[in-house]
Amino acid sequence: MIEFDFLFHKYHRRLLLFTLKFVESESDALDIVQNVFVAIWENGKYRQNENLVQAYLFSAVKKSCLNYLKHQKIIKKFENETALQLREIEAIHFQSGEKSLIESENLKQINDAIDSLSEIYKEVIVLSRFEGLKNSEIAKQLNLPVRTVETRVFRALSALKEKISQKSFFILLFLNRLR
Amino acid sequence: MNDKENIENLIVRYLNGNYTQEEQEELKTWIDESQVNRSEFLQIKDIWDSLNNQKDNTAEQLAQFYKKQYSKSKTKQLIWIRSLSAVAAILLLGLVISVLVPFSRETPSENLQVFSVPLGSRSKVMLADGSEVSLNSGSELRYSTGFSSENRVVSLSGEAFFNVKSDAKHPFTVKTSDFDIKVTGTKFNVCSYSDNKYSTATLAEGRISLRLKENADMLKVEPGEKFQLDRKTQKHSLDEADVESEMAWKDDHFIFKNIPFPELAKRLERWYDVKLNYSDQKLQEYAFTGKFKNQETIWQVLDALKLTTPIDYQKTSFREFSIIYKPLKNN
Repeated sequence: MIEFDFLFHKYHRRLLLFTLKFVESESDALDIVQNVFVAIWENGKYRQNENLVQAYLFSAVKKSCLNYLKHQKIIKKFENETALQLREIEAIHFQSGEKSLIESENLKQINDAIDSLSEIYKEVIVLSRFEGLKNSEIAKQLNLPVRTVETRVFRALSALKEKISQKSFFILLFLNRLR
Repeated sequence: MNDKENIENLIVRYLNGNYTQEEQEELKTWIDESQVNRSEFLQIKDIWDSLNNQKDNTAEQLAQFYKKQYSKSKTKQLIWIRSLSAVAAILLLGLVISVLVPFSRETPSENLQVFSVPLGSRSKVMLADGSEVSLNSGSELRYSTGFSSENRVVSLSGEAFFNVKSDAKHPFTVKTSDFDIKVTGTKFNVCSYSDNKYSTATLAEGRISLRLKENADMLKVEPGEKFQLDRKTQKHSLDEADVESEMAWKDDHFIFKNIPFPELAKRLERWYDVKLNYSDQKLQEYAFTGKFKNQETIWQVLDALKLTTPIDYQKTSFREFSIIYKPLKNN
């Protein structure tokens, strides 16, 4: 496999998912990620040790996201300021060195961990996250009050958080047992 | 309804993108209340964000990346080969530079990168360290995937003009079947075709050291000098070179001065990807001097030779000509 293509294939999706945390517009997010790859192509950084490249890619994307939000704040001055503030809190959090699961964990393992959830939790995650349904639509489909759906989604996310924070090897073991 | 559950629902509504302005502000107030609240929100959102079924469009994005880089390199009139992965872009640019498209392939051993230029075509390669290599027809440049600004070793068969990026700490080595050349930063031409009588190295700028395979002594070549090795006898000499005509091929000029007919024939064969057959010994007695630009076709070149030298030709089959000795009437 070729060095640069290898890096592109390995990190593009992760960087995009990370960027989408802060950047609503998908085309803006794709631009941010493209620009980071252009940078490592032009400055030759992609030839360094992969750990360094990975760290560089994420820190460059974090920086770009924060700049993007600052810019959005200026051009959309009074329009939905709270949303931008919430995003900014998050961006600053990750820029200060915190790692997102997208950066530090194997995404496939996280996705697979959903299988370890109990059926009622699994169901709402699949519907809201993978099928992109609104809470009210899920409620209709499952014949439940909206608030119940919301509570279930939250509990499901909490359960996943617990599992993942118990280190990824636990997930691995668990999945192996399932098979 | 307790507060905790209310907040949980609020968070989920926010993530799901279905909330009112008031709810959003309520959430923000809760997050600002304490470090613990903020941390919980961020962690839950992070899980949510990592469970994304976003369509994977990496391949499409990679193609777009190369397209963009290609249009950039076009405006700079430079080919940037930072890795073999740029092949797609190079193939396109190759069309602009040469008659036919040079192709590049990965060898079975995978850790070797090979740039081959077919007969009748020329190409340019930009190496990872910033060095530039022009490849003449029927040449092949190889280097390991480990090639970098610290590890600068390439192998060549055929003819190439090197413009090596200067770096005294990391010498650049060109290996051929006849000799190895070591430089730190220079411009030079190497000609080492396996079917040529001689292999040569001509220096335009800087300094090169040359080492023959079976001889550990380093030979120094100065600017304007040409090292010539008789491949059969292994006799070699160092002469003054006609640098300009020696290296004209890289600018698509075909210049030859005082060269014997067999060499001219060989050069034309490579340059135009044709076969020239001849048997008359008298042809060997003539030396040829001339200058062509690549725009000329093989027909035009042969016609020019026919008019000015004792040569006639016939087309015998596809891309194949028979050269006949025919004294000029007026001479």
